[in-house]
This record gives sequence, structure tokens and C-alpha cells, in this order.
Amino acid sequence: MQKNRNVGIIGVGQSVYSSHREEVNQPEMIHEAVVEALANAGITLDDVDCIVHGNMELFEMVHQPDLWHTLGTGAYGKECLRVTTGGTTGATLVCAADHLVASGLHDVVMAIGFEKLQEGHTTGGITNMADPLWGRQLQTGALTGMTAAQMIDEFGEERAKQVAMKYRIIMDKHAMKNQKAHRRLGLEFDQADDLAVNSPALVGELRMIHMCSQSDGACVMIFASEEKARQWCDQPAWIKDHVTAHREEMFCLFGDAPVLSTHRYAAKKLFERCGIQNPREEIDVFEMYDPSSWWGSDWLREFLLLEGDEHLKMIENDEITIDGAFPVNPSGGVIASNPIGATAMVRVAEAALQIMGKADTHQVPRTVNQALASGFGGTMWTVLTLLTRHVPW
Amino acid sequence: MDAKYADSFVVEGKLALPYQYFAGRTGSRFITTIRDKKKIMGLKCDRCGKVFVPPRSTCERCFVDISNNWVDVKNTGTVTGFTVIRYKEPYQPFDPPYIQALILLDGADTPMVHIVKGIPVSQMQMGLRVKAVFAKKTTATIMDIDHFRPDVKDHVKLGYTYEELEIGMTASFSKTITETDVYLFAGISGDFNPMHMNEEFAKKTPFGTRIAHGALPQCLCAPVLGMKLPGLGTVALEITTRFKAPTYFGDTITCTGEIIEKLEDRKWVRMSLTWTNQDDKLVAEGKALVMPPQSS
Repeated sequence: MQKNRNVGIIGVGQSVYSSHREEVNQPEMIHEAVVEALANAGITLDDVDCIVHGNMELFEMVHQPDLWHTLGTGAYGKECLRVTTGGTTGATLVCAADHLVASGLHDVVMAIGFEKLQEGHTTGGITNMADPLWGRQLQTGALTGMTAAQMIDEFGEERAKQVAMKYRIIMDKHAMKNQKAHRRLGLEFDQADDLAVNSPALVGELRMIHMCSQSDGACVMIFASEEKARQWCDQPAWIKDHVTAHREEMFCLFGDAPVLSTHRYAAKKLFERCGIQNPREEIDVFEMYDPSSWWGSDWLREFLLLEGDEHLKMIENDEITIDGAFPVNPSGGVIASNPIGATAMVRVAEAALQIMGKADTHQVPRTVNQALASGFGGTMWTVLTLLTRHVPW
Repeated sequence: MDAKYADSFVVEGKLALPYQYFAGRTGSRFITTIRDKKKIMGLKCDRCGKVFVPPRSTCERCFVDISNNWVDVKNTGTVTGFTVIRYKEPYQPFDPPYIQALILLDGADTPMVHIVKGIPVSQMQMGLRVKAVFAKKTTATIMDIDHFRPDVKDHVKLGYTYEELEIGMTASFSKTITETDVYLFAGISGDFNPMHMNEEFAKKTPFGTRIAHGALPQCLCAPVLGMKLPGLGTVALEITTRFKAPTYFGDTITCTGEIIEKLEDRKWVRMSLTWTNQDDKLVAEGKALVMPPQSS
């Protein structure tokens, strides 16, 4: 692989994530994150050449929101690009910004991901994705209990449920450290048994407590060429590589046979390309797009190319906590905050903050030389991004 | 059916997706002020001085937060652009034709879109002065302004002011004087003199036939002075007339006024008046002293 020139993340801004942001309209909410990102990078809007904007199509029932949002984005008179790739939108925005700067087309690019899930109707929007002839009448939205069923099948009910709930409580403990997170419940490990029974069931063993939130919020990142990044930022987070993999069918097209997940495929490719032999050793923090604690637990195995019950042991042995051997989602992850068009970008933004040392109250207690971020979207869509502390290429 | 499309199934669908929109504090105050106080407010950017209506919490050009800088704007404004909707479509608020216009409210720098009623489509024009008509019943939407309609008071264009008038400016008014006019004038004035009313009697007068009252062609100076030159808002102070020839039934009389003197101390003007018939024969001549309208 060759890269034309290095790209550094020099600024991150996030609105507060919340179930309701009635006090601001869409451009006003975005404006909060834009102002914070510019201040974080120590630059002004005049320094920005191009603005990349994205969210879920029609989730707020607004056509061409990028044009409508100009007041908040500051895009007036600037080059613009709109990207919408479903749940991965935020991660794809990062890819697009990386390409725009790496290619030499622009020196400084601002990427904006946003969503106001409370204004729209998520399941209505997602249903449009299904094939109109054989899928649309049957589509039920984003909830699925299949992973829970599979994990229970493979590891036994007691162990699988305990792992999923422990993962959930670890994520809440992380969210409690992040002032901007949406759901900060203050859960304790001794509540696990109670929650496993009393949290409302959604689908099978997927319960409300396991599932991600529906949040309002915006995330903004500023990308600069190596020259500008070095000039303006003491410690940029450098983009080493990113891989996108997607497929239409969520499950195996031919039935129940084992299927190569896009997560495992993307991880394999990324690690091969970047010479990573042992991801658990070589990666210092992982911001995972974890829509539920069942998926979060299960997907560790895919992303880290593990076999057997290694991933369960990581959770059982507290390896994924903020001060553990392999910290996962010190921000609290998607279960805590999920403004979908921003969610996948928040993963990269949080990974970048960890490298820059700017994660504040949820900074992992170690030097982060290499950070991984994943984005996920329907039907099976993965974007993996690898960030480094040192200039990568 | 075209054979090419045979056996091709078409899925008929309709998507009805519920949604909400969080207006935010800025948008909320704009709408609730219209709803509760029947008042339109905007936000002003102190850096560039622009007033945004509808309000925007950020100035697009200066990219600064202006969300606390509320100013009142007027309920009146000027049409800066418009379109006429002539086709019928189920999602429209009214049956066509109707007018949608961009209205720049007095005190605002950005025009807002709304409906204009109360003017025929053929007479709609840019620059029209309009006034907001608030809805009787609130819906807490932008339709709490029900529509805009022509601001009639301002729509009347007053005549030339003293400053605008120049010596040599002229205007005229023509009318054919009919038997009906003469009989009506007799009724108005009480002057049933048989020289105007009785043909047999009139044959014995020096004119040999009935003629119009002298004051009838004379009063054709009124539309000249009052509606043309100087025009609406003029007060006539003095009119003198010397009659030169009779006006017969069916004659077309033209009264012409011309500015001949400007009286600086009183801001009055003196005008010459001539009345001629269809053969350019002088029927009467005289002078008028008038007070032109003041600038509105």
C-alpha cells in the first residue's frame, strides 16, 4: 500500500449526546460541535478548505440536509461533499476526508456527522433498505436477537448471559467517566442478575439494557495534511489505514452455514496490510461500534481474529476495562451514545482523542501508540480505521 | 400493454414516515411570538449588521452566534420576488391559482416566503407593498401569519411634490360632453336654463342650438389638477376662467394644464389652463393656483 501523503487528525468536537435536544434545531446542534472542533484544533473556519457532511438518509425526513445545515456547518462558499452509507456513515466520512487530504486536493478538511434520532423514525427509515419485492413487508428494523441465541447455543445460557451483562456494565462504568455520553446509568456489577431478569425483553434474550440508545448529537473532526498538522498540532492522531467491507445479506445466503463476517474480513485485511501480528498486544485501545452488548461481546472475537471462547475470557478477566490489558470503548461506546450518522465517527474521534491525550476524564492510563476504531452498518458493513501516534508512512 | 413490459410485476408502495422537528430555542421564539403577540422578530448580526427573518442563530457570513440579539421588524414589507402556482396538486395549501412571494419585511435583510392574497394575479408585481394578516385561529406554525395582502394605504401613489414639479410640465384630460352630461349637470347645479334644456328656445339664441353649461367643460380641470398634475393630494386654491367659445352637445373637450410658476415662499405652483374642442378651437382659458402634495 502507498499513500500520497500523511493525514493527521488535529481537532475533535462533539455536542452533548442526549435523548432530546429540543432546545436546538439541526444546524444549531451541529454548530456546537463545529465550534468545539475548531477551538480544539486552534484554527478558524477560514483555515478549512472543504466540508464533508453525512447522516442517515431520511431519518429526520429532511432532503439534502447538508445544504440546509450550512448555517451551522460554516460551509458557505466552501467545497462540500455529502456522504451517506447508513450506520457506517461516520466512519466513511473519515475515509472521505482522509482521501481528500491524502490526495492533495485539500489541505484541511472538516468532517461532520450528525443525527437527531428523536425527530425521525428509525425503523421506518431502515425498512426502506429492504428489497421492495421480498423484504420490505417483513423488515422489522434494527433489533435482532440472533447473536444472543447463537452465543447461548455455543457457550451455554448462564455463561453467555453473564458475559453480555458484564460487558454492558463495563460500558456503563466507562460512560460514567464521559461527560458527553447519553446514557450514564451508574450500574454496579451486583445488579447483573437483577437486570438479566427485570430489563424488558426486546427480541429473545436481547433486552432493553443490552441495546444501544437512540441519541441526538453531532461529531466533528478536522483533518490536515502532514505539513499543516505538524505546524498546528503538538500531537495529531495520524491515519495509518482504513478498510471497508460490505455485503447485502446479513446472514449466510445459503442458510445457516458459518459465514465469514465483514468484521473478520476487514480486520484480516487491515492487520495484513499494516503488519500487525498480534492485535491484542499491538493495539492500545479499541473503540468498537457495539450496537448491543451481545454484539459487542461476540464481535471482539471477529475483530481480534480470535477462536473459541478467548473473547469471553477477555470480558470475564476485565481485560477490556479502561485500565485493562486491552481497553475497549473508554467513551462508553455505542450502547451509551448513538446519534447514528455521527456514531461511527465518534469511534474514530474517541480513538484519536486517546492518541492525542485529550480524552480527559476517560483517557486510558497508558501511552496510546496505536488505536483501532470500527464502524458498523446494515446490512453487514464494516469500516475499520487504524490510527497511530507516530507518522505512519 | 407494450409486449416488452408483459409479465413484469410492479410493487405499488406508499411510505408514510412519522417525524418530529425540534425547532430549537431560536425557531421556537420566532413562532411563539407570532402566535402570542402577533409580532414578527428577527436576529441581528452585530458584526455585519444584517437582520435575519426568519431568525438564524448563527450569521452565515460572519459565523458568529447571534442568538441573543433579537430585534423587532415591521409587519409590512416589500415583495422582492414571486411566483404564481397554476397547477393543482394534492399537497398544496390552496386551490390554484395562488401567489407565493418573497417578502422583505421592513427592518429585515432576508426575505421570507409567504402567500400573497388580495390582488389579481395579473396585477401582481415585484415591489408591491404588503402587510401581514394574522390568522384568527392559531396552529402554532408559520401559517399563524395567514397571508400577506397589499398595504392599501401605502399603495396609493401621491402626486408630484413641489420639489418634483418643474416649469413646463403638462398634463391633460379629455371627455365628450353628451346630452346626458348636460341634464345631469342641470340637476346638480339647479341651472335648468332653457338655453341648455329646450331646443326650440335655443334656436332663438345667438348659438342657434342648445349648448352645455360653461362650468361643465370648465370642471374638466379637476381631474388634471387633482389626479395628474400635480396629482393625488393636491389642493386647489384659485381657478380663473375666461370663456371663449360655446360647447355643443357631442363636442370632445380637452383641458390642458401647464406649470408656469413656482411660488417658493408658500411652496405653491401656478398653472395655465386651456380648454380646446375636437377642432383645436379654444373654448376657454384661465389659470390655477394649487398646493401640491407633500412627500409621504
